[in-house]
Amino acid sequence: MGMRRRNEQAHESSHGIDLAPMLDFVINLLIFFIITAVFLKEFGLNVNRPTSFEQNKNDDKKGIQIQVLNNGEIWIDGRAVDVRAVRANVERMSAIDPDTGVLLLANEQAPTGTVVEVVDQVHLGGIYNITFTTSN
Amino acid sequence: MQHTRHTPESEDHGIDLAPMLDFTINLLIFFIITTSFIKEAGITVFKPNAITAENRDSGNLLIAVRENGEIWMDRRPVEARELRALIERLHIERPDDTVVIIADKASRAGVVAKVMDEVRMGGIKEVAIAADPGAGG
Repeated sequence: MGMRRRNEQAHESSHGIDLAPMLDFVINLLIFFIITAVFLKEFGLNVNRPTSFEQNKNDDKKGIQIQVLNNGEIWIDGRAVDVRAVRANVERMSAIDPDTGVLLLANEQAPTGTVVEVVDQVHLGGIYNITFTTSN
Repeated sequence: MQHTRHTPESEDHGIDLAPMLDFTINLLIFFIITTSFIKEAGITVFKPNAITAENRDSGNLLIAVRENGEIWMDRRPVEARELRALIERLHIERPDDTVVIIADKASRAGVVAKVMDEVRMGGIKEVAIAADPGAGG
């Protein structure tokens, strides 16, 4: 009799409540959240989008204008260039005026892949201020 | 005496569960915090490559633009018109959200520009175009 009371005391002091059901519940929750977890690593490029006000401002300031036609051709300064030549052109122009920005004028039918390639090349050329507009 | 002191403990609990419970609850909190705010687009598209693409770990609203001009958001196709209302609602719920547009290589720039405009009109100013880093050009 005396031994039993001592055991109960020992039990009470070591654990106030039984943690096992709580642990079951918490582990179930954990498994649910692990399964539904999505680990996204999205890589992206930032471009500006002009509002109508900014567009007027950009027209005043002469920047580099790059056009992407609907067939994917790239035009700088009135001549067609290859996507690999964009970087050199941008580097040259940013050397003349380091604060200049790029106005990327894409046709609405132009493939996005080409547009992103041009943005990438302009970034490599050292200009991160890119304004992206479309025309039809 | 030694025998009687040993048995009740071992048949009651083999190991002490409290540290394991602490650890598990920490893990649980971590997963709750990291997962629940991402809205997936719901489809896979072929992203363009770009060497200078930056990691956008804050971009948690993903909008996909397919090759045929379909726009997907939150695992369903949406019209360009309803995009603004959807973004407005999400922007009110969580103002820190930013948008990443996942556009297919062959999608049209006009659709992407339209999506960007709708998102900006919906109140989210930070919009990026997704690209795969690495072999670009």
